[in-house]
Amino acid sequence: MDNLFDCLVIGGGVVGSAIARELSRYRLKIGVLEKNLDVCYETSGRNTAVIHGGFAYNTGSLKARFCVEGNRGMTKLADDLDFKFIRTGKVLIGNSEEDMASLKRTMAQGERNGVEGLTLIDGEKLHEMVPTVNGKFALWSPNSGIVDPFMYTIALAENAARNGVKYFLDNEVTAISHGTDGNYCVTTRRGVYHTRWVVNSAGLGCREISDMLGLTGYRVIFSKDHYIILDQRCGVDVPLPRYTVPSNTYMGIHVTPTVDGNVLVGPDAEERPALPRSAGSSAALYDVPQKNIDFLAEDASILWPHIHKKDYIRTYCGILPKWVDENGVIQDFKIEIRDDVAPRAVNLVGIESPGLTCAVPIARHVLDMMKEREPFEENPNFNGRRKGIRRFADMTDEERAEAIRQNPDYGELVCRCEKVSKAEILQAIHNPLGVETMTGIKYRTRSMMGRCQGGYCQMRVERMIEEEKGRRETEVLYNRQGSQVLFDKVREAQR
Amino acid sequence: MQRKFTCIICPNGCEITAEYDTAAGSVAIHSIEGQTCPRGEEYVKQELTDPRRTIASSVLVRGGELPLASVRLTAPIPKAKIFDAMREIRKLAVDAPVVAGTVLIENLLGLGTDLVVTKSVGLR
Amino acid sequence: MTDNIDVLIIGGGPAGLAAAVKLWDLGVHSLLVLEREKQLGGILRQCIHDGFGLTRFGTTLSGPEYAQRFIDEVRERNIPYITNAAVIGIKPQISGGSGGTSARQPGLRSPEGRAAFGWSAVSEQNAGRSVEAPELKLVTAATRDGLRKWQAKAVVLAMGCRERTRGALAIPGERPAGVFTAGVAQAYMNLYNRMPAREVVILGSGDIGMIMARRLTLEGAHVQAVFEVLPYPSGLPRNIEQCLNDYNIPLYLSHTVTNIHGSARLTAVTVSEVDSQMKPIPGTEKEYPCDTLILSVGLIPENELSLDAGVTLDGRTRGAEVDEFFQTSVPGIFSAGNVLHVHDLVDFVSLEAEALAESCARYLSSGLPECALNIVADKSVNHTVPMRISGSHDVPLSLRPSRPFRDCRVVARQGGVELASKPMKKAIPAEMIQMKIPAAKISASGDILVSIEAGVRASCPSEGD
Repeated sequence: MDNLFDCLVIGGGVVGSAIARELSRYRLKIGVLEKNLDVCYETSGRNTAVIHGGFAYNTGSLKARFCVEGNRGMTKLADDLDFKFIRTGKVLIGNSEEDMASLKRTMAQGERNGVEGLTLIDGEKLHEMVPTVNGKFALWSPNSGIVDPFMYTIALAENAARNGVKYFLDNEVTAISHGTDGNYCVTTRRGVYHTRWVVNSAGLGCREISDMLGLTGYRVIFSKDHYIILDQRCGVDVPLPRYTVPSNTYMGIHVTPTVDGNVLVGPDAEERPALPRSAGSSAALYDVPQKNIDFLAEDASILWPHIHKKDYIRTYCGILPKWVDENGVIQDFKIEIRDDVAPRAVNLVGIESPGLTCAVPIARHVLDMMKEREPFEENPNFNGRRKGIRRFADMTDEERAEAIRQNPDYGELVCRCEKVSKAEILQAIHNPLGVETMTGIKYRTRSMMGRCQGGYCQMRVERMIEEEKGRRETEVLYNRQGSQVLFDKVREAQR
Repeated sequence: MQRKFTCIICPNGCEITAEYDTAAGSVAIHSIEGQTCPRGEEYVKQELTDPRRTIASSVLVRGGELPLASVRLTAPIPKAKIFDAMREIRKLAVDAPVVAGTVLIENLLGLGTDLVVTKSVGLR
Repeated sequence: MTDNIDVLIIGGGPAGLAAAVKLWDLGVHSLLVLEREKQLGGILRQCIHDGFGLTRFGTTLSGPEYAQRFIDEVRERNIPYITNAAVIGIKPQISGGSGGTSARQPGLRSPEGRAAFGWSAVSEQNAGRSVEAPELKLVTAATRDGLRKWQAKAVVLAMGCRERTRGALAIPGERPAGVFTAGVAQAYMNLYNRMPAREVVILGSGDIGMIMARRLTLEGAHVQAVFEVLPYPSGLPRNIEQCLNDYNIPLYLSHTVTNIHGSARLTAVTVSEVDSQMKPIPGTEKEYPCDTLILSVGLIPENELSLDAGVTLDGRTRGAEVDEFFQTSVPGIFSAGNVLHVHDLVDFVSLEAEALAESCARYLSSGLPECALNIVADKSVNHTVPMRISGSHDVPLSLRPSRPFRDCRVVARQGGVELASKPMKKAIPAEMIQMKIPAAKISASGDILVSIEAGVRASCPSEGD
C-alpha cells in the first residue's frame, strides 16, 4: 500500500508535534492529523506559557519527572528551534504560617523531584527582586521560565515538517478501525488514512480517540482557565512570574510576564465535567464571561495591586483535559501501549499542565515505548535545528539597516505596534505548514497582537494573504473553519 | 404642529423648533426658532417641504493603484432618491488614472446633481 | 549616517501637513514630513463622507478632498516628505550619544494609580533639563531605502490616534471573526473594496460608528441598532440625524453588549441595559442575531513614540501635556492634532497644527518663554489643552465637558477673578469647546481654574427658548 503511513499522530499540539519531530529522527513515513487550521489553536496556545520547575507534582509521577527533564532541556531546545524562552525564575509568595509550612513542603517535594536551586527568601529579598508585589516571604525557583507558546509549538511542527513529517490540517478524526492486516484505518472529515502505528495525542479529544482505539473507560474532566492580557507597558514591573502558594493540582491565580513583555493575569481553573464539541458547533468553547474577568482582576490584585482596566489588551481562555479516578481525583499523565487491545497504538490521556514543559520528554518516552516493540532505522538526514522568521522588532539598528539592505521588505513596517515588517508577514504567509489563517500570521509574526489589535495592519495582512495565496476575499479565514472575515467586494467589475 | 430638528448643515447641530400646519399637501410655516445662523432656517424649510441629502460613495477603478475612487454628489437630492442614486453609482467602473474633480455622471437621474470624483487614483 | 534638519514632522495627515505648510511659509525650509503610509493624507483618505472643511475652508468637502488641499499646498512649495517611512524611535540626544534605539520600551517605573503607564515617572527624567538648552533629537525611521536617521532641532508629533478595541473594553464572550472597530470596517470598505458585514450591530455612538452605519446601509448591509453605554450620545447630533434617523436605525442609550456569541463567525450579541453606574442590569438581556459587531467606543491618541521620547502624557487626554506653544515636557518636541487630544472636527486639527507651527518657528529663531501658570479643570470639564500657559499672550483654550450641560457658562478664573467666560445653550462631550483667555487679565502667579456652571439662563445672551 503506497499510502500506508508508518505512524500517524492524532493532534498537532505541542505534544503531538514534539512526538512527530522525535519520530522524524527515524526513517519512517509520518503524518500528523490536526483538526484545526493551525497547530496551536487549543490548549498548547491557550495557557500561561510558563516553563515549570517541577516542584508542584507528586514525587515519582511522570509529571514531576518529565517536568524536571523538560525544564533542563529547554534552553537547548529553544536555541535549536529558535523560539523565545526566558529563564526568568519565579516566586511563590506567602504571608501566613500556613503558607510557610506549605512552601516548605513544596520545597522538600521539589528537592525530591530533582529540582535545583529552590530557596526560601524573606520579604526584604522578595521586594528587592519584585518591588511592586505584596507578600511577606517566598519560595524562589530560579529555573522556572516563560516561553512563546505559539512559536514553541509551531517551531516543533515546522522542524518536524522540514524533516519529512506531513501535516494534514483541517482533518478531524471521526473513526478508527483496526484492519485484519494489523494496520489502522483512520477516517477524518477529509479522507481516509492507513497506518501501522497510531499515536493519540488529541489533547482535549483524548478520551474520544481513546474510545475509538478501544481503550475505553477513561474519565476526563476539563479545567477552563481564563486570563486577562495587559499592555506591554505593565510588563516592566513584572520581570518574573509571581504565584501564590500552590497545591499539587492547582497553581492559583498568578501574574506572569510574557516573552514579549505583556502581563498575564490568571487562571481561575473552572472545572467542567464535559466539553462541548467544538468543530461546527455553536457551543461556547472559549467564551470569557464577565464574572471571570472581574474575579481575576480582583483576586490577583491582592498579590499585585496594579491591575487597571485601561491596561487591558484582551482576555482569553484555555481548557486543560484532566484524567480523574472514580473519586474525581486528578491523576498523572497516562501514556500507554496496550498490546492486547490496541497494538501499535500509543495512547496519551490527560496531558495537561505541565505539558508545555514536558512535551519533548513525553515524546522521547513515547519513542522509547515504540522502540521496545519495533526497531527503527535512524534518519541520517535529520536536522534538529530550525531558523525562525527574523524579527525586525528584536534587531539592533545596525542589524535592521543590514536586513533592509538585503531585503527592502524589512524596511516596510506593516504592523506599527509590534514593529512587524512586510518581509516577516510574507515569510509567515509562506510557512512550512501551509497555514494561511489570519491568526496563523498573527502567531508567527505578532502582527495584530499589539495594543491596536490589528486596527492598523489587519487589512494589509488580509490583502497579502489573498495576493500571495491566490485566494478570494471570501476564502480568507480568521482562525477556525467558517470564520470568514469578509463577505464580498464592495464594487465588483461587471462580468 | 410643532417639530424639533437637529440641523445637519454644520457641526454645531443646532436644535431648531418649527411651528407649522399642513393642509392639502402644502406646508404653512408659522415660526422657526433655535437656529444660530440663516442656514438653519433654510434647512428646516427644506426639511418640511422637500428633505434632501448628499451622499458619498465609491466607484470601481480598473488598473489603478487603489481599487476604488471615492465620489460624492455636488448637490443634495431628495431623500427618497438616495437608493436610486446608489444603484447608478454601483454600475460605474472607470479606468485609471482618475483625477479628483472629474464629473462621472452629469445631472444624475435628472436630479440636477453631478457625481464627482473626490480622490485621484493613479495607474497601478 | 545621520542628517541634520531643523524640523522633523512625524505624520503626514491633516495635522502634519498643516504644520509643514505653515512652517514653510514662516521661512522654516529645513523641514521634512515622514509618513508611514504609501500616500499622504492620513485617516482622511478613508473618510469619504463630506462635512469637512466648513471652518477652515468655508465649504464642505469629503475627507480625501480636504486632505488633497493640504497635499497640493505641500507640493506647490516643494516641501520634502517621505512616504512609507515608519518612525521607530525619537531620542533626545545627550551630547553626541550613540543614539542606538532599542526595540523595547524605556525603563518606565510604575508607582501608583494612573502612573501604571509610566506617565509621571517619565517626567522625572526631564525635570532637570532647562528650557534654554535646546538639544537635538535623534529620529530613526524604517524605509525601503534603508534605516534613516536625522538629528532635528525640533520634532512635531502628528501621529493621530487609534481606536479603542474590544480587548480594551474586555467585552466578555467568545472571539469569533466579525468584530471590527468602525475604522477597520471603514478601511476595508473605502480603501480595500472589501465588504466586512451583512447583518450589523454597532456598539458605541462615536461619530465613525454612526458614519459607518450609514455607509453600510447604503451598501446593502442591514444595521439593526446602535447601542451606547452612556446616557447621552458620544457623537455629534448631526450624525445621529443624518446617519441614523435618516435610515431608521435606532440608537439605544444606557445599553451595552454583554456577551458575544459564535465560535467561528459572529452569530449573535447579547445586549443589556445598564444602570447609572454603567453596570448591566440583570434580566434586561436581549439577544441580537448578527454577523458583525462594529465598535465605535473611543479614540486614543497614538503616543507610543512620544513615551519613547520621554514626553509626559496627560492622564485624561492620553496625549502629551503641552503648554500654550504646544510644546511638550521635552523642549523642542511639539504635539498637535489627534495625537494631542481627540478632536471631533478636522478643521480644528489643522488650525491647531498651524498654531503649533508658529510656536515652533519661534522656538527655532528666538526660543519660547516659560509657561509657569497651570490650567486646572474641575470635574465638570473633562480636560483642557493647553495645560500650562505663559500669561503673556491671549490663549485659545480647547476643552471638553465631562457630561452634557444646558444653558451653561464656561468660566476661567484665577484666584477668584474671572478671566473669561462663554455662555452656551448646550455643551456636550461630543463637541470640543474653544474659548479665548485674554492675557490682559492674567496675573503672574496662581493656577487658572476652568469649570462649566449649569443653570445660568439669565446670563445667556442668545435668544431665549
